[in-house]
Amino acid sequence: MTRRMKPLVIFPLVLCFSLLASCAWFPEAKEPPYALVKSWGEKGSGPGQFDEPTGIAVAGEEVFVSDARNGRILVFDFDGNYRRQIGQPGEGPGQLGRPMNLEISADRLYVADYWNDRILIYDLSGAFQRGIGERGAGPGQFKEPGGVAVAGNGDLFVADFNNHRVQQLSSGGEFIRQWGVTGETGFLAGKFNYPTDVALDAEGNLYVADGYNDRIQVFGPDGALLRKWGGPFALNLNGSFNGWFATVTSIDIGPGGNVFVADFYNDRVQKFTLQGRFLTAFGVKPAGPVHTAMAVAVADDGHVFVADFDRNRVEKWAPVR
Amino acid sequence: MKHPFLIIAAALLWSTMAAAQGVRYELRVDGLACPFCAYGIEKKFKKTKGVEAVDIDLERGLVVVSAGEGVQLTREQVERIVKDAGFTLRSMTEKTLP
Repeated sequence: MTRRMKPLVIFPLVLCFSLLASCAWFPEAKEPPYALVKSWGEKGSGPGQFDEPTGIAVAGEEVFVSDARNGRILVFDFDGNYRRQIGQPGEGPGQLGRPMNLEISADRLYVADYWNDRILIYDLSGAFQRGIGERGAGPGQFKEPGGVAVAGNGDLFVADFNNHRVQQLSSGGEFIRQWGVTGETGFLAGKFNYPTDVALDAEGNLYVADGYNDRIQVFGPDGALLRKWGGPFALNLNGSFNGWFATVTSIDIGPGGNVFVADFYNDRVQKFTLQGRFLTAFGVKPAGPVHTAMAVAVADDGHVFVADFDRNRVEKWAPVR
Repeated sequence: MKHPFLIIAAALLWSTMAAAQGVRYELRVDGLACPFCAYGIEKKFKKTKGVEAVDIDLERGLVVVSAGEGVQLTREQVERIVKDAGFTLRSMTEKTLP
């Protein structure tokens, strides 16, 4: 090949690569952003007040919120009216250290208690049922669990934050299997860098919020990696473009089969298809020195509830038709 | 010859008072990204004997540790705690509490 011909070959290649990259790595929104319709809460320790909300879940007509520094879960109706408190601060049975991401399944509330290294289970009225796990790096033990998901058969999937793994346990807490290598971070496929939360879709696929890898990883029921997304090649490149993340702190799958991700440092929730195709994003900028979109939960009616860490409040977002 | 003795005596008195009054440590820590990190490092320090309070400024990467009367944390000790929590200590300053 002569020197004169090289640019003729290289230029189209660069152009094709750039076009492909712009489609895949800088996607356009396919839906309008959601609208903020209501918010409630303020900093404090009284009923309906928060000191760092870090997790959220919905069931029926109620919203459950982790009130981390107050060591409790607060329950509201969908209009923000305070209903009750679950748990109290402490280390004893049923007491909470720092509750993080929440899960509700079969009329049970599952709380990842980061401070006490365990999963606590309550009924939805607030009666404590039992705890699972203890501090450690062995099977069935946790180091600062961040989130939990529950399968139809009662199996638990736990984002074991400081062990850099996700564990699957039976409903009784017996170890079944894990993803990731205990105590080892990594950005290649199947490795984690402080996983913060997990979710399951209707097919039993496991979605992992791979916190500091700024990506989502998806595993099939057989345990194999299906896909991952978040920035170019999902290799721990953070950013604020559509489909990119800057510290993923929570994940939920909506009734319509879409994935909602709390993208904390970008102060937004991003919505994707189950395959990871970017749909839209929404959120508010912080009023104070920290960030807003800490945790996300989707109601059956399509409303999205967000724990706003910066403003110590809950936000209710509605899809724009 | 009187002066060196006076200086040593004053230094000893000051260090004794500092230990008795409690110390506030301001730590610059690399890698603090979200409440998950903040709670992790706070948890480590709160389990350290003599630590009374821990405040974290995520935006500035600043961890402020208040130790009680008679408690002194060494840089090596602080470095180890920060490293065990998964982070890197960038700098450390200490102030005696009034």
